[in-house]
Amino acid sequence: MRALCWHDRHDVRVETVPEPKLINPRDAIVRVTLSAICGSDLHLYGGFVPGMVKGDILGHEFMGEVVEVGAAVKNLRAGERVVVPFPIACGNCFFCAKGLFSLCENSNPNAWMAEKLWGYSPCGIYGYSHLLGGYAGGQAEYVRVPYADVGPLKVPEELRDEQALFLSDILPTGYMAAENCAIERGDTIAVWGCGPVGLLAIASALLLGAERVIAIDRFAERLRLAALKLGAETIDYSEANVLEALKELTGGRGPDACIDAVGMEAHAYHNIAHAYDRVKQAMMLETDRPTALREAIMACRSGGTVSVAGVYGGWIDKFPAGALMNRSLTIRTGQTHVHRYLRPLLERITKGDIDPSFVITHRMPLDQAPAAYRMFRDKQDECIKVVLMP
Amino acid sequence: MPRSPNLTRADRIGYVVGGIALIVWALRRPSWSRALAASVGSWFLYQAYTGSNPMLKPLGIRVNREPAQPQLAETIVVEEAITISRPRAEVYAYFARPEHLPALADAEVDIARNVADQELAWRGLRGEKLAHFGSLSFRDAPGGRGTIVAAHLEYAPSGGSLGAALARVMGRSPQRLVADALRHARAILETGEAPSTSGQPSGLR
Ligand SMILES: NC(=O)c1ccc[n+]([C@@H]2O[C@H](COP(=O)([O-])OP(=O)(O)OC[C@H]3O[C@@H](n4cnc5c(N)ncnc54)[C@H](O)[C@@H]3O)[C@@H](O)[C@H]2O)c1
Ligand SMILES: [Zn+2]
Ligand SMILES: [Zn+2]
Repeated sequence: MRALCWHDRHDVRVETVPEPKLINPRDAIVRVTLSAICGSDLHLYGGFVPGMVKGDILGHEFMGEVVEVGAAVKNLRAGERVVVPFPIACGNCFFCAKGLFSLCENSNPNAWMAEKLWGYSPCGIYGYSHLLGGYAGGQAEYVRVPYADVGPLKVPEELRDEQALFLSDILPTGYMAAENCAIERGDTIAVWGCGPVGLLAIASALLLGAERVIAIDRFAERLRLAALKLGAETIDYSEANVLEALKELTGGRGPDACIDAVGMEAHAYHNIAHAYDRVKQAMMLETDRPTALREAIMACRSGGTVSVAGVYGGWIDKFPAGALMNRSLTIRTGQTHVHRYLRPLLERITKGDIDPSFVITHRMPLDQAPAAYRMFRDKQDECIKVVLMP
Repeated sequence: MPRSPNLTRADRIGYVVGGIALIVWALRRPSWSRALAASVGSWFLYQAYTGSNPMLKPLGIRVNREPAQPQLAETIVVEEAITISRPRAEVYAYFARPEHLPALADAEVDIARNVADQELAWRGLRGEKLAHFGSLSFRDAPGGRGTIVAAHLEYAPSGGSLGAALARVMGRSPQRLVADALRHARAILETGEAPSTSGQPSGLR
């Protein structure tokens, strides 16, 4: 089959590889009908996540048709159309029982590696480095899905692939980011990053009753979508001083909650701090560039919540611990516990409350994935979200 | 509180020899740079005296100079624990099969103690010789959260503490073996299978 393989920093290739086989009794094999490239893939592409090995198949956002199931999978049959959550979770362990699926204790065969870096290991993730299990991903024609009796969600016929695909990651991620804000009547939510995750966080914050959402980015097409499609107010951080602008927009008090939908490759303009972070990151003295996170903490109103959806991998510098502590801020974060949002969000989609496919700007064949990665990384051609057809 | 030792006898002899060599070398033709060598040498001697290298502490290397099994003059100690969301009897029954014990490879397992639902102890024999010994104890996790399995294992050091430290950094130590065996057990008991990617496709040629 054809699959997108990681080779090196900024080097991914579509190659012919063997088809996946069932390994465990709870596995299924899915023929992928649609997959997507995520901001998280860019962190792997840029070489910011350790534990990548030449030849690894990427992709954690995918859906398709079940072609084969293991002996222990009783709820799925060949031919059924499913969307698959990106965290690999057993459904049985302490964390799965608590609904914290991305913390599943049993799904990462390389837990010891993650323990060295993070103290304890979270769940395994498709196509997301050997640190998180080294599972072959779904930017391919076929993919093996472990614990297929708990993960995959059957997609009703009336939904198109494009409407259901983002249940795999970014819709639940945007939703959990907003849910973590514990939104109350009258709240203003600020969102750093208007990529697909940020846009869906904005949409979710409004669904959850936010009074106003303020969107922060520098790409005009992304800010336009946030404003015109979702009704957010916008700040272009390449022009405005974000902290001052937010203070002004919120009557001098700051947003009630701040969402970081940027992550470890944040960018900053005309800024000594940015140069400082780039140098430290290049010298491996700091693994992540936390411009957006620092700003979100500084901007948040006292007693408010900073919800971190953006992915971080290691250590950051100049963390504003003083602001966090003295102003009683709460930080909520995590890889998304996708499983627990699947059904409620599927219902939202079928009811027409939200159609997450509005973020798609590019539809390309899998064979063009390397070009798609480059385009998405450089935000060329007004690219916001690429979906790939095998 | 005295530091818990993490250097084996062989290590300490090495530290004494190295430390004295550095000091002697420095004293033969004193200079500022050699003074530095002398102070490193005396630091080695001090470590040999305390039996503890502070740099090994974060790695959790622990040496037992008076192991419970007197056939071994000294041992390196491994301790790991895991919580498994299954009843104690079931967890015990799994480990009661000798092939499921977190014993070190290439040793034959001889069950030394077996108290149903509470404890399993074994000795790892290489021929007549004792290579390691270990035990598992089982207790209920608080709040009905299943069973806590605590593993204790001691093995004869080969390669000294530095060898053990290196193995630990490389992720190939007895510590890792015990941790992996416990994790494997939890996966089998909770999910009915062990997570694996062996045999999956990759673009590696
Ligand atoms: N928590 C999870 O489970 C989860 C799931 C999916 C994605 N993510 C993470 O969410 C983040 C965003 O993903 P995406 O797909 O939207 O990526 P993306 O690259 O399309 O979007 C990132 C956006 O952040 C903007 N940005 C960069 N620096 C900024 C700054 N200083 N201030 C404001 N905006 C800034 C960029 O211009 C870009 O529009 C990534 O870190 C990704 O790994 C997390
Ligand atoms: Zn993703
Ligand atoms: Zn689990």
